[in-house]
Formats: sequence, C-alpha cells, structure tokens
Amino acid sequence: MAPYLLRFAQCHSEFRLPELNSVAKLYGFRITLPEPEEDRDPTRAFMIVDLDSEEHARLLARRCILIKTVSELWASATSYDELHACMKANPERWAAYNLTKHKYIVGATGHTMPDARILETIESFDYMDLKGEINLKKPDEVFVCMEEYAEKPPGVMLKAFDDENFIRVYFGRQLEHGTARSLIVEFDIKKRKYFGNTTMDAEISLLMANQALAEPGTFIYDPFAGTGSMLYTSAYFGAQVFGSDIDGRQLRGKDKVPGILRSAAQYGVMNRITDCIVFDVTCNPWRCGELFDAIITDPPYGVRAGAKRLGRKEGLPMREEAKMMEDGTPSHESPDYRPPKRPYELAELVLDLVIMSRYMLRPGGRLVFFLPTITDDYQEVDVPQIEGMEVIANSLQTFGHGVWGRRLITMEKTTSEKFPMPTFGRHVSDEPMPDGQHTPGHQGFREKYFAGFRRNGTPQE
Amino acid sequence: MVKLITHNLLCCHARGCNYPENFPLVFRDVTQLEVREADFNAEFLQKMMPRLEWTALVNTAKQLGDTSLPEEMPQGDAVDEGILKKLHHVLMEIHIEEGAMHCPKCDHKYPILQGIPNMLLAEHEIGR
Repeated sequence: MAPYLLRFAQCHSEFRLPELNSVAKLYGFRITLPEPEEDRDPTRAFMIVDLDSEEHARLLARRCILIKTVSELWASATSYDELHACMKANPERWAAYNLTKHKYIVGATGHTMPDARILETIESFDYMDLKGEINLKKPDEVFVCMEEYAEKPPGVMLKAFDDENFIRVYFGRQLEHGTARSLIVEFDIKKRKYFGNTTMDAEISLLMANQALAEPGTFIYDPFAGTGSMLYTSAYFGAQVFGSDIDGRQLRGKDKVPGILRSAAQYGVMNRITDCIVFDVTCNPWRCGELFDAIITDPPYGVRAGAKRLGRKEGLPMREEAKMMEDGTPSHESPDYRPPKRPYELAELVLDLVIMSRYMLRPGGRLVFFLPTITDDYQEVDVPQIEGMEVIANSLQTFGHGVWGRRLITMEKTTSEKFPMPTFGRHVSDEPMPDGQHTPGHQGFREKYFAGFRRNGTPQE
Repeated sequence: MVKLITHNLLCCHARGCNYPENFPLVFRDVTQLEVREADFNAEFLQKMMPRLEWTALVNTAKQLGDTSLPEEMPQGDAVDEGILKKLHHVLMEIHIEEGAMHCPKCDHKYPILQGIPNMLLAEHEIGR
C-alpha cells in the first residue's frame, strides 16, 4: 500500500466518502482511509488514502465525480521545514525523474499565495536538482506543492497575514486530473435536448450512477424516470437501463421522437435504453423479481410535482365495470382516456420503494434514491428499515439555509431470500405503517414545504 | 423500442389476471418494427437467461419472423457465443415501435406509441 493524495472539488462533501467506497467496490480494489478522525474529515479539500497501486489511483480520478486531482504523495507536513526533511529522507523518489520534462504547480486551497512566494517555494525544492527540461505546456510529469488553509466563513476578506498560516502542505507527483468531473459539463441540463422542470442536475445524476455501481453488464431501473436524467448517466457508464413513469408525457415530450430518446442519442447511449414504459409502479406489470443490479431514482416528492398513483381520492368508490361510450366502445380504449389518479403520500411511497426494491433487485443489488427531509424533523429511523435492505450511505444536501434538504440514500440488498411483490397497500385497507409508533419526519413534506417549515408548530394545511 | 427482453419480463396486471394465464402478452397490429444494433454483452445475457420464459420468447420471436432460437433453452456448454449472439439479437435488437400488446386472458390492450407502451390500467381494472 502507498499513500495517494486526493484533492476534492469544494462541494457535496457528504457524498465524497460514499463515492470513493463505491468506485473502489466497482473496480474491486482496497482503499484505506486515514485513521485520525480529522484527516478523514470529508469537508477538507485534501485526503490521503492508501491504495495498492497507481492504477487504482488513476481509476479513482477517472470515475469519481468529486475528485479534482490525484497525486502520488511524496510528503505532507505542517511546515515547510518538516516537509523538506520528509522529502530528503526519500531521495530515490525523485532520482527516477532526473531527466524528465516537467513542471511545478504550486498553490493553495482557500487562499491565494502571493506570486513572490510561489517562486520562492519552487526554488526551495532545488535540492532535487532535476535536470530535465521545464516545459509548462507539455510536461511529462507535474510536481505539485499545495497548501491547505482552513475554510474561512463566507464574507470574510482574505488578509495578507493569513499567508503561510496553513493547516498542512503536501508535495507529490500529480497522476491525473479528475476526468469524470468534466462529465458534469457534458451532461449539463442547459445543453440537453430534452429536460423538464424537475430534471435532476448533471452532477448529482452522475454521483447517483456511481452509487449504483453502473458498468457494462449491469441492468438498472428507474421507476420514476420522468425525463430520464439518471438513465443517461447510468447508461453512459455502460449499464442497460430501464425507465417507467406514471406520466407518459414526461417520457415522451412533445416531439415525434420521444424526448428521452433524443437526449439518449445526444449522449450516444440510445442503444442502452432498454425500454421506457408508462405505468404506475404501485400497479406494475413485472412478471418476476430479482431482475436488476440497481434501482436508481428521484421520487417525485411533491414540491414541484406531487407524486400520484392510480385510484380515486380517499373514500370515493372505484368503477367496477368499464364505462361504455355512446358508440358502444369502452371509454378506456379511447386514446384520450386518462385513468383517475390520487396523491401518493411521500412516507408511503418511500416505504413502498424500499420493499419493491427488495423484490426487484438481485441479491447484492443497490437502491439509490433521494429522500427529502426537514432538517429539524429528520431522525435516523426515517429511512425505512426493512429486513434484507441495509443502508450503506446517507448523504445530506441542504437547501434553504439548511432548513430542508434531501438525503441520497444508498441501500444494499443483503438477503438472497425470496420476497413477494409488495401489495402497495391494496387488499388490506387502513393498514397502519409497519412501525405504528413512528411517523417519519418527511411525512406531509409537501404541506410542510408550502407552510414554510414552521418550527415547533403544526404546519397549516 | 419494446424489445423482446421487455416483452418477456412483463405480464398483464389487470384485476383478476394472474400468472401464468396473463403471459405472454400477444403482439397485434404491429405496423412498425425496426432492427437496431445494440452493444453485445455476454455477461448481461447470461445473467438474464435464468429470468427468461424461453418458450414464450421463442414463440414471440417466431411470430415476428425470427426463427433463430432453439426450442429448448440451451444449458451449460451449449451456451456458446453463437447462441448468445442470436439471443442478443432477439432480445435487444428487435424493436416494436407501433402496435399493441394484448393480454391472452382478459384481452386488455396495451397500445405502443412511438415505441413507448402505455400500461396504465383503466379504473375498473385496478386491483383493490
């Protein structure tokens, strides 16, 4: 094992460790995180991890959306004296690069180094006595020296006297830029042929595909596919994907060629879209279970689009026979027929999703989904706890100054026992939540959202 | 779209329809069928095979004019690249773009428009 330096993009800090672990699992290699708690703090810009080979470090850079660069770590310290001492203890490190065309990158995170000190810093490594040409445009090796400063509260001006007051300084040989990160631009919604007002943003869609371990040979399903964001990213990484949605207008769009296919063609993944079908997941036509390696979805949680399922509102009787039109044909065979729909409460939907996933996933398969939460109301038990489905990651992204947010939950099916398709609340009327005592904090999320998440009070209807 | 892999994994879910009488759905009025090349992935097909209803697949393929698959699902060493390539073509490359699927039991019609089937049930067909 050898140490490698990861530099992260300064966003989605809670998603970093789950992503690292997922990508390591995907390629089947070991990743060892630092022992001390403060060194594995995912809000810091740098992390040192131990890996078995350089190739593994490169794989992380090519697949992790949140990695900016990956370097082979030569030394890290809290002062330059310590750093140079550490460097000089291993002169064979640089001996191999004595004649290599190279350049230096010297910089800082959370701080701007004065130009004079950049030059001074480069010169401080003169003892390596590299004889190779310095080439800024096409170097064969890039040596990086990075100072890490503590994050300053927003709005605080950087002051010159902060200079050199860094937490740590790192030196290493840069291996790769995070090429997966550039996919965020490629999948940018603004440049997408087809999208809607609830389309998931590119970065999160890519992160979700990583959590789902999307790769060639896998089969991935989105039961609330909408405009298909996660289908494209999963398919991009090689998975065969399948989408369904209760609203065919979302899948199709208005053009002759369905919207999902137009976007899929744009990303070159059209032939990995297995199919898109209009049905209500609570009333679904699946013949059997254990079909998918992953289920990846952003359920409609009802801020911009409330979830719906087939049926009539509480208490209204359902029609027992087909309605016949005046011309003698049944109304439901008309192309304009729209079956009645009723609201699908979020808490009920989330529980159904987990139970359905246990049925539809292969053993070892993953469910990756978003759960909207109200920060003050959220409790650990709000993630449905179902036998055979284990939470392996739970990352919060906050909105509205932290009042509400959404959690990206990754669950793994840890059982190979056969489970029946869930009944989605049918046959058993007025069945209470399985855990009758606990009402999840996300119950009534939409109502609470529009009531402004009043703290310490019942939200208004 | 509507590939035969999809067709093989779905059944009629109207109230009162149960497996196996509700399977396989019957293609009717197919006015547009396309063949589009797809990435071959042996691992994917091998994982899928135990989930398939082979006889239904063979018969549906025949109905659409493809007779390349053997009547019996090949087992063990018989699952060679030749077979997998044929299976790949039948499952992943034949697309029904316009037409309908009908339940063999209740005759519910699931229309396929622009390659996307509408499998929403009518009110009286929704399970209670």
